[in-house]
Amino acid sequence: MSLLEGISAALIGLGLFFFIAGTVGLLRLPDPLSRLHALTKADNLGLSLVVLGLLPHTGGLLPGAKLVLVWLLVLAAGATAAHLVAKRTLRGDGEDAR
Amino acid sequence: MSALLLALDGLLSISVVALAWATVTRREPRQAVILFIAFGLLLALVWARLRAPDVALAEAAIGAGLGGALMLAAARRALIQRDAAPSPAPPEEAGR
Amino acid sequence: MPEIQVAAALVLLATMSTGLLRALWGPTPSDRMMAVQLMGTSGIGVLLLLGPAIGVPALVDVALVFALLAAVAIVAFTRRAECAAEEA
Repeated sequence: MSLLEGISAALIGLGLFFFIAGTVGLLRLPDPLSRLHALTKADNLGLSLVVLGLLPHTGGLLPGAKLVLVWLLVLAAGATAAHLVAKRTLRGDGEDAR
Repeated sequence: MSALLLALDGLLSISVVALAWATVTRREPRQAVILFIAFGLLLALVWARLRAPDVALAEAAIGAGLGGALMLAAARRALIQRDAAPSPAPPEEAGR
Repeated sequence: MPEIQVAAALVLLATMSTGLLRALWGPTPSDRMMAVQLMGTSGIGVLLLLGPAIGVPALVDVALVFALLAAVAIVAFTRRAECAAEEA
């Protein structure tokens, strides 16, 4: 295993750690806003580290650019979604009917 | 490698079947729609694993994204109409 | 390298299946939607890892569509109730 592969595997492993931590937080934390906090960490850092770990092995500029585009889209979507869900939770409308 | 792929396939199959069962047996419309969106995501993964990226593309776009949004709007309208209905339960709800 | 990628995809799929429990239990609809969003992001990770590992590079495009449409469902979910009431 070369050095680049080692770094790449380490980055992917770190990203997996953030995903696992986010899932545990989503299951264990007591109220919706703290669960949202755990979720955004998993979204942004987890996927960012996985993409960073995959980048050295894309073998070309265009596939690498596509990976970075996926990453940027997930960052934008994650920020928007966290803001909207937090506002909806604070508003408190439309709770479970039964 | 093949054992890992086999484990991936097994976990994916179990998750998809369990989620499908939970989706069709859910009574409240909005919960069912949210579970259906999750089901669309998992089904796209199944198509991807079957080496059919075009079908996975269509499933992700239609099943999870646009269809989910439309069905969420429909479920919200159904809830509003049910709340606006007179307080004795309508006959189609009494049988559920 | 493909072994590492498939193993990582397996771990991500396991977190997806575990996070699904929150979508099943979730006390509020916001919790369910958060669980679905985490599933979407993990799904993107699974697709990105699986694409080079099983030799289907087009899976990156599927991940792109996942990322594009992740926001659509959330925005449809968080629309204000009054707007829908006026339309109805």
